[in-house]
Amino acid sequence: MSSINRCYTVLPQFPDYTVSISLFEDVSNAQELRSKVAELPFALIDARAICSREQLLSAIYRALVEVSYNKRRTKSLHSECLLCLSPSSNIGEAFKNFGLKDDCKTLIAVQILGPNDQNAVERLGEEIHGREVELLDQTLQQHCDETFIRKVCGHQR
Amino acid sequence: MSQEVVNKALAILGPNIELKTIAQGAEAVVFTTKVHPYLPNGNEDKKYIVKYRPPKRYRHPSIDQALTKRRTLGESRLLAKLYLVKGLNVPKIIACDAYNGFIWEEFLGEELPDGYGFSNLKNFLWMYSAKDRNPHDEVVKNTLIRVGRQIGLLHWNGYCHGDLTSSNIVLESVDGSWQPFLIDFGLGSISDSVEDKGVDLYVLERAILSTHSSYADQYNAWLLEGFSQIYNDHGKTGQAKLQEVLNRFNEVRLRGRKRSMIG
Ligand SMILES: Nc1ncnc2c1ncn2[C@@H]1O[C@H](COP(=O)(O)O)[C@@H](O)[C@H]1O
Repeated sequence: MSSINRCYTVLPQFPDYTVSISLFEDVSNAQELRSKVAELPFALIDARAICSREQLLSAIYRALVEVSYNKRRTKSLHSECLLCLSPSSNIGEAFKNFGLKDDCKTLIAVQILGPNDQNAVERLGEEIHGREVELLDQTLQQHCDETFIRKVCGHQR
Repeated sequence: MSQEVVNKALAILGPNIELKTIAQGAEAVVFTTKVHPYLPNGNEDKKYIVKYRPPKRYRHPSIDQALTKRRTLGESRLLAKLYLVKGLNVPKIIACDAYNGFIWEEFLGEELPDGYGFSNLKNFLWMYSAKDRNPHDEVVKNTLIRVGRQIGLLHWNGYCHGDLTSSNIVLESVDGSWQPFLIDFGLGSISDSVEDKGVDLYVLERAILSTHSSYADQYNAWLLEGFSQIYNDHGKTGQAKLQEVLNRFNEVRLRGRKRSMIG
């Protein structure tokens, strides 16, 4: 039911992949999710570090470029997305800044399915205890920590 | 050769991205497309620039790949940095695929009235040199001062363009005035060297002189007026640095003249 809120997209250069992005508010089990994040078939992102769909999608595009033409630097396409959100190539730093934290109340789940991947989007609702809302720039802006993003992305004003 | 390069680009980007060739240089081909690489349902009249550095057959493939990657990444990083400089107008970078040599950026500029073509500075000055127009119009003066200010901002912040011709300055009409944007940073650098800055100024002066010779002195004076404004806004330090750049500009000019006398 809540899947009407989800943003599904196919990037024109990578038609074999389907991208789905969901935004959850009032998440109560961030700590639990974090303990098993490696096994989950999606990327979980701290919404405080994201201010727009453009920011998310540019990283997803970059992750697809990396796995298609370079070599995958992390375990999965999903962790590659987290790495691509980060301006540095340090994986630990990327996870620390953009990944899920225990105190996370708002989070973004990104799933990229390749031609041979199992669709696991249905599991999202079971795993994440929270309310799925529409992925709008306006909502992302409400939840984001602009000072933090500027600091992490090296954009001082 | 040309069609082969286009086919290579099409093969990599796939059938969903239509490309229109607008420029072909030694280093890169420039296309426009209506397809955004990752944002859905874009605006109908929006278009984007795709700059493609094709592989060079005469280079060893692994050296060629490494060079393409380095140059594409270098230009992208520079563009991303410049976009954050307050007051500086450069195209926004949208995406980069350094492995295949692609940079996507915002398309800038428009068609000039009366068939004068694309709104780069060169065509704009041609337009004002037409019989029914005044080459010394206030609009020309104000635009050239603004162009000078853009170059001043670029240099003051420690960057150089490397190929500052009047085709690499693009104008957009914003609220009734022409706003200049600097494009093509393929030869750009993070550089505080007075030599690089002097050469930038010299290259632009030569470009104006060769295409608009009758008005070049006045045009170059306006450019320098704008350029100096930026430096003069920074007090004594600014003025001292300005003097250094202008002195070197003069030296580069003298060298250029000597070279052309020798042949
Ligand atoms: N961002 C841009 N917006 C509009 N035109 C561009 C842009 N970048 C490049 N061009 C055009 O492509 C030509 C060659 O580009 P370049 O290879 O970057 O010098 C330029 O002279 C412009 O006419």
